[in-house]
Amino acid sequence: MHLTIKMEWLPVAALVILALPPMQKFLEQSMVTHMLVQIPALAVIGWFLGRALPENWGNQLAPWNRWGITGMVFAIAIMTYWMLPRALDAAVAEWYAELAKFITIPAMGIALGVSWPQLNPIAQGVLKLEFWATFMRLGWLYLDLPDRLCANYLLSDQRVLGQLLLLAGSAWAITWTLRVTFGTRIINT
Amino acid sequence: MSAAETSGKIEYSDSVNRNALIAVKAHLIAGLLVFLLMMLGGLTMRAAQGTWLEIGADLFYQIMTVHGVGVVGAAVIASTGVQWYFLRQYVRLSNGIFWTNFIIFLTGVVMILGSIFVGKYGGAWTFLYPLPAISMGAWSNGAAALFQLGVLIIGVGLLILYLDFGRAILARYGSLARALGLTQLFGKEPVDYKHPAAVVASTMVLIVNFLGIAAGAVVLVMGLINLYYPEFKPDALLMKNLIYFFGHVIINATIYASVIAVYELLPRFTGRPWKTNKPFYAAWFAIVFMVMGVYPHHLMMDFPMPSWALIAAQILSFGSGIPVMVVTGYGALMIVYRSGIKWSTTAKLLVLSMFGWGAGVVPAILDAMITVNRTFHNTLWVPGHFHFYLLIGLLPMIIGFTYYLTGEGDSKEETKTVDNLGFYAYLIGAFMTSMVFLASGANSIPRRWAAHLPEWVGYAQVGTVAASLVVIGMLFFIVRALVSLPGASNPR
Repeated sequence: MHLTIKMEWLPVAALVILALPPMQKFLEQSMVTHMLVQIPALAVIGWFLGRALPENWGNQLAPWNRWGITGMVFAIAIMTYWMLPRALDAAVAEWYAELAKFITIPAMGIALGVSWPQLNPIAQGVLKLEFWATFMRLGWLYLDLPDRLCANYLLSDQRVLGQLLLLAGSAWAITWTLRVTFGTRIINT
Repeated sequence: MSAAETSGKIEYSDSVNRNALIAVKAHLIAGLLVFLLMMLGGLTMRAAQGTWLEIGADLFYQIMTVHGVGVVGAAVIASTGVQWYFLRQYVRLSNGIFWTNFIIFLTGVVMILGSIFVGKYGGAWTFLYPLPAISMGAWSNGAAALFQLGVLIIGVGLLILYLDFGRAILARYGSLARALGLTQLFGKEPVDYKHPAAVVASTMVLIVNFLGIAAGAVVLVMGLINLYYPEFKPDALLMKNLIYFFGHVIINATIYASVIAVYELLPRFTGRPWKTNKPFYAAWFAIVFMVMGVYPHHLMMDFPMPSWALIAAQILSFGSGIPVMVVTGYGALMIVYRSGIKWSTTAKLLVLSMFGWGAGVVPAILDAMITVNRTFHNTLWVPGHFHFYLLIGLLPMIIGFTYYLTGEGDSKEETKTVDNLGFYAYLIGAFMTSMVFLASGANSIPRRWAAHLPEWVGYAQVGTVAASLVVIGMLFFIVRALVSLPGASNPR
């Protein structure tokens, strides 16, 4: 029997796997995997779902998302909410907050996937730098704050997350710098 | 490659060029007016220290704060105007982004002025943690926050502008390395003597300022968090490192942005081209790292700093003035020597700027020696350095460019008596101001003190006279700019 899997279903399958209780418990038992694995994975799934949307959906959305601005505002609002420590706590403790996370973060990914390519390169640059600065600021905060931010996670977990965020931010900065300094023609105008 | 690219210059429509010229003039006028106001603030402070004027200590520190941040802001906005005017001739820049930065800058200025004169913030431009949060009632948290938000928003505007620079430079040259001339320096491409100096300098400024602003964007937000959540106590030394990295890079880069005026204008006055070559590229490549590496010379009295950082800062500070100064100063002298140059105000100011730049770094190099720094750094020696550097190095480049735009660029306009009066009042005043600061520092008079001991008052009084001359000279320049600049057409 020849089994064919449509590529469009892969993000849906990944979403289902992430939502399975063992996987969900496994990723949410640590602040590090919760913030650096589960949430980004949900956003990436959303990004690919956005690319798989039927073309006419995109066309209908287009007048409401000129230059990708509406989508980016939507994405940033969701991102900001899920950066709040109490939002993470709620997701661990309450089923409805968890459900909201599994809906809103893929939705944010969809908005990013649809809107990012439409965004002006300058706006992309500003947001990239702001995302980078957020990594560094949060990393620094998690390292230096005397108290736990999330009731469900240990201070040591918060410290490790801080170090990883600083590491990821630094790696990102180095990659970006190398690309623009020595890269080939990457932007055509 | 388009026809415009092969000729080396970018073509724009007339309406875009007209709009661009208005934007450049707006930057210059705004910058010069802010400079004038800051000079009046400086004069007020010197008169207060010289006991010729009585102001409260709180007002003194508010003026000191606005003077520090205002001069940096004016230097940035005016030098950006100079840089953008020339860079857009080689890469396609957006007028809209340039205006956006200008409007964001003005918004930031209003916020900063509000924080200082309404909110009474007087914690110096350095907003050095934890001072903004522990004013002991002199100002509110809100005022300190507004100040830092104002600085942050100005940084965001500049970031947008630099992203446009980066986009345009990458679109034309493919990589920043190529724009800096590194492919020519390392033999990957033949040396192109016509590779624009404006592009090389702008790429350097773009790299260092981008990183400086990124550091600023982080440290300003950390400071804001501390204001409203005092339990968060970041490492004070790390905060100071980031603040000085941000602050030193951004003010230092203004002279590298403005020197483009020397590269572009002196050849027009002498009739000799400014050719870029391997030493030129090597110097600008070196300065990318030096400008970013020297800032720990502000932290030499912070004993927990790692020794290697301080030693590196001392060595880099010794060397940082040399590469670009040598290629620029030597290059300028060579193209002026026996060229039959007509000494217009523009030409005089540009050559003066070479002197101010070259001589202005000498006190800084002395202060960057760790043993000297321990005695000198908190004295008026340091204002002596940066007043020399900015008044006689940076400002003549900006004012020289302004004169060029007012009509001297077409070589039709003769130098007027008022221009000469302004030039010499400014020159004598600026030189005296700097030298009095240096002499005060050498005599251990501390800086950032509202009240001076009786033994120091004489220096402050001479400094007040000197500052008055600077203001008079600047008034001549400003009047000239306000009268002639708005209607001036683009020099051909």
